[in-house]
Amino acid sequence: MTAKVAVARRREPVDRVAWLALPAVAYLVVAYGWPLLLLLARGVTGPTGLTLAPFASFFADPFHWQVVANTIKIAALVTLVCLLIGYPTAFALAWSAGWAQLVLLAAIILPLSVGVVVKAFAWQIVLRRDGVVALAMVKLGISSEPVRLLFTEAGLVLGASNVFLPFMILPIYSVVKLIDPRLNEAGATLGATPFYRFKRIVLPLTLPGILTGVVFVFSLSIAMYVIPSLLIGDRFQTLATLIGRSFLFMRNEQLGSTTALVLLALAVFVVAGSSILARRLERSQ
Amino acid sequence: MTRIEQSATFAVWVTAFLAVMFLLTPLVVTIAVSFGSSSVFTLPPPDWSLKWYARLPATKGLAPSLVTSLEIASLSTLIALLLGTLCAIALVRGRFPGQEAISTFLVSPLMLPGLVIGIAMLQAFRELGLRGAWASLLVAHVVITLPYVVRTVLGALSLFDFSLIDAARTLGCSYLRALRKVLVPSLAPAFVTSGMFAFLASMDNYPISIFFTDAWTKTLPIQMLQYVEESPDPIIAAISTGLIVLAVLALLVADRLIGLRRLAEF
Amino acid sequence: MPDFLRIAGAGKSFAATRVLGDVTLGVGRGEFVSLLGPSGCGKTTLLRIVAGLLRPDAGSVYLDGEDITTRPPHRRDIGVVFQNYALFPHLTVAENVAFGLEARRATRAHTQATVARFLDLVHMRDLADRSVKVLSGGQQQRVAVARALAVRPKLLLLDEPFSALDRKLRETMQIELKRLLRELSTTAVFVTHDQDEALMMSDRIAVMNRGAIEQFDDPATIYHRPATAFVLSFVGMSTRLSGSVVDAGDGQVLVATAHGPVRARGAFPCGAKAFVGVRPERMQLGPGLGRENEIEVPLRDIVFQGSKVQLHFTAAAGDQVVVETVQLPLGFEPGAHIKVGFASNDAMAFAAEALP
Repeated sequence: MTAKVAVARRREPVDRVAWLALPAVAYLVVAYGWPLLLLLARGVTGPTGLTLAPFASFFADPFHWQVVANTIKIAALVTLVCLLIGYPTAFALAWSAGWAQLVLLAAIILPLSVGVVVKAFAWQIVLRRDGVVALAMVKLGISSEPVRLLFTEAGLVLGASNVFLPFMILPIYSVVKLIDPRLNEAGATLGATPFYRFKRIVLPLTLPGILTGVVFVFSLSIAMYVIPSLLIGDRFQTLATLIGRSFLFMRNEQLGSTTALVLLALAVFVVAGSSILARRLERSQ
Repeated sequence: MTRIEQSATFAVWVTAFLAVMFLLTPLVVTIAVSFGSSSVFTLPPPDWSLKWYARLPATKGLAPSLVTSLEIASLSTLIALLLGTLCAIALVRGRFPGQEAISTFLVSPLMLPGLVIGIAMLQAFRELGLRGAWASLLVAHVVITLPYVVRTVLGALSLFDFSLIDAARTLGCSYLRALRKVLVPSLAPAFVTSGMFAFLASMDNYPISIFFTDAWTKTLPIQMLQYVEESPDPIIAAISTGLIVLAVLALLVADRLIGLRRLAEF
Repeated sequence: MPDFLRIAGAGKSFAATRVLGDVTLGVGRGEFVSLLGPSGCGKTTLLRIVAGLLRPDAGSVYLDGEDITTRPPHRRDIGVVFQNYALFPHLTVAENVAFGLEARRATRAHTQATVARFLDLVHMRDLADRSVKVLSGGQQQRVAVARALAVRPKLLLLDEPFSALDRKLRETMQIELKRLLRELSTTAVFVTHDQDEALMMSDRIAVMNRGAIEQFDDPATIYHRPATAFVLSFVGMSTRLSGSVVDAGDGQVLVATAHGPVRARGAFPCGAKAFVGVRPERMQLGPGLGRENEIEVPLRDIVFQGSKVQLHFTAAAGDQVVVETVQLPLGFEPGAHIKVGFASNDAMAFAAEALP
């Protein structure tokens, strides 16, 4: 997600203004950029110089492949659920006014303000066999007897989707808000059916928002630690929980660092890939 | 409106309704459990009681962790607001090579896994000789909060019409006075929004903070997760409800200041 | 001959405000009709009802013999050119023009040929693959017109399409649009608040005020024979002299005004409060022979307008005297008392309460 920079055309002391950026940039370089480089350097340096041995041994273990697969699978499912629920909700938010809009906004922003531990803990309660979800499923006829969703992948997807849903709704909403209602009217007067208008006017125009939301939720999902710790436990490991375990319980810093770099590579790949997609989208529009 | 459009609209509103229920579920559950008398988390609770709230003051570690979190969050947000605003001004007004790269770099901590950043910082700070947990937390949290400020303020600045400052100057203001009277009020919503989100991000942060705790220094999320893992009982729900109340108050204030809708444009 | 477009008894209210009240209008095939009026008169509301973008509270709309009142806009075969153009920002010029054709599942060949033809007609062929976001206002307008006409609608509606353009461009576009519509024999209804535009382009004009049509006639009749005081004052300039009727008969009345007695066309009882309106170019300056009406007024302003000169005089309270002439006679200066005369046949009497 790149922040667009509007370049002002002033002939005033331009170079001087640039120095204002120095404190922030310098700070991040020292406190964030350099540590990451150090991590990377350490990760590929062995006793005899540059080596990829730690990664080779990481990927030699099929368990680690399973961990990577788990991470990506859960993130993909969470992203999908958030997209399916979030896309229509973004439209409702854009269409609503008055108290309906306030309710929607509050429902989206309030959970964001509360904190992931509070929410994950609440989902622990909710997903138990005697919890609300299980009882609701029986009532709705989805299952014949109360099902325990805690410590299952389904429960994890549900809980994570709940936490990350606002991050899908808000970017899409910000794009939907900008769509000129006259465009839909113009399409209608040209003879396009409602479905055709959605397919060729609304959907393409919301695509940048969808992309932002998808990248956001996917990135957050591959990195989440607290939610899987509380909702799925040790049997199901993701890259993040493996990192946590390595450092905090197994005291295996080497494995922790290597896994961290794998996760970092995945995250960079996602961000870079989406950046390219975004640029291609911009060019075609 | 045709039948199809009507059904589609109906489906959208139904989905939104379900989404609202879905989003509010954890909050409602938490509040309900906190007022329950049983120490097992059954819903609906067999009886209502305030006993968990009564036990709050005596809970070990709660007050110190709350204070630590508030201190770190406030300080890091303030520092981020200062550094971030200056930087945003430079990016919008200046003309120098690598502007887009710099703004991407500044926002990148949001997009990368916190756990990875935490590990990197842990090892790097050790190298630098930075040992105190509290100081390390502060340094780390500025990294967390800075992107929020830069992104929001940058967005607001790019929409700002700088000819307004010229107009103020032709009416007799000095450059600094013009900035104060014209630019600052215009940026105020951006400050409030980014300040709020930065503060919340810091209060809520786990993956980076976990590496910088010691026996005396814990942030609130870390303390709470410890409670959950060691002795889960509804007192955690009581703490959470307290946080929910604080959040509601903060949102009310924010709505009064700039309107909830502005917050949605973070 | 039956009307091609017929609006019967259309009514619409928003909340407590009645925006349109029982409007009836008939447009012939191939005709160019303008809906002219100030903001809030209901002209855009009426247009949107015809387009199907708004449901009327009462009344019906018939097009080419069919009742389309309840039909959704995508099944009406009515094209619309919007005030802000409403071009699809994510499509190129050619893709915009092709949109309607593709929506109706035209073949690729037919679409390409039609798009090319219409882009030629609006002189936008060279910019076919340009994104619409970089076009100027005039260029966007032309694409909007081409897009609406490419599907050969039965009726074209235009909602103040030229209001955002500068004067020279507007005049060019007006001429081009008329040429295009004539070439394609398309019926058009055009909404505007600019009376010059309406007078210049229309076969007939419907002057609207507060949700009702005050007069529906060809431009010359609207201008020279305004039916109501509103039409008189909204379309073109006029001299206005108020007073009371002292004599009536034979389709004329004698009105006693602050500037003397004035004879005008009209029928009002004696004693009624009335005012007399005269078009500026119908008035003559300086002493002359045989003029039925003559008043003497001090000159206040001389407004040079290129091809003509407008003279504004100081008149009694609430009145105004405006004279238009091709060339300013010598010796005319602000402050001079000038004799101004006009024929009774050029003067029209209106009821005084009707003053808008």
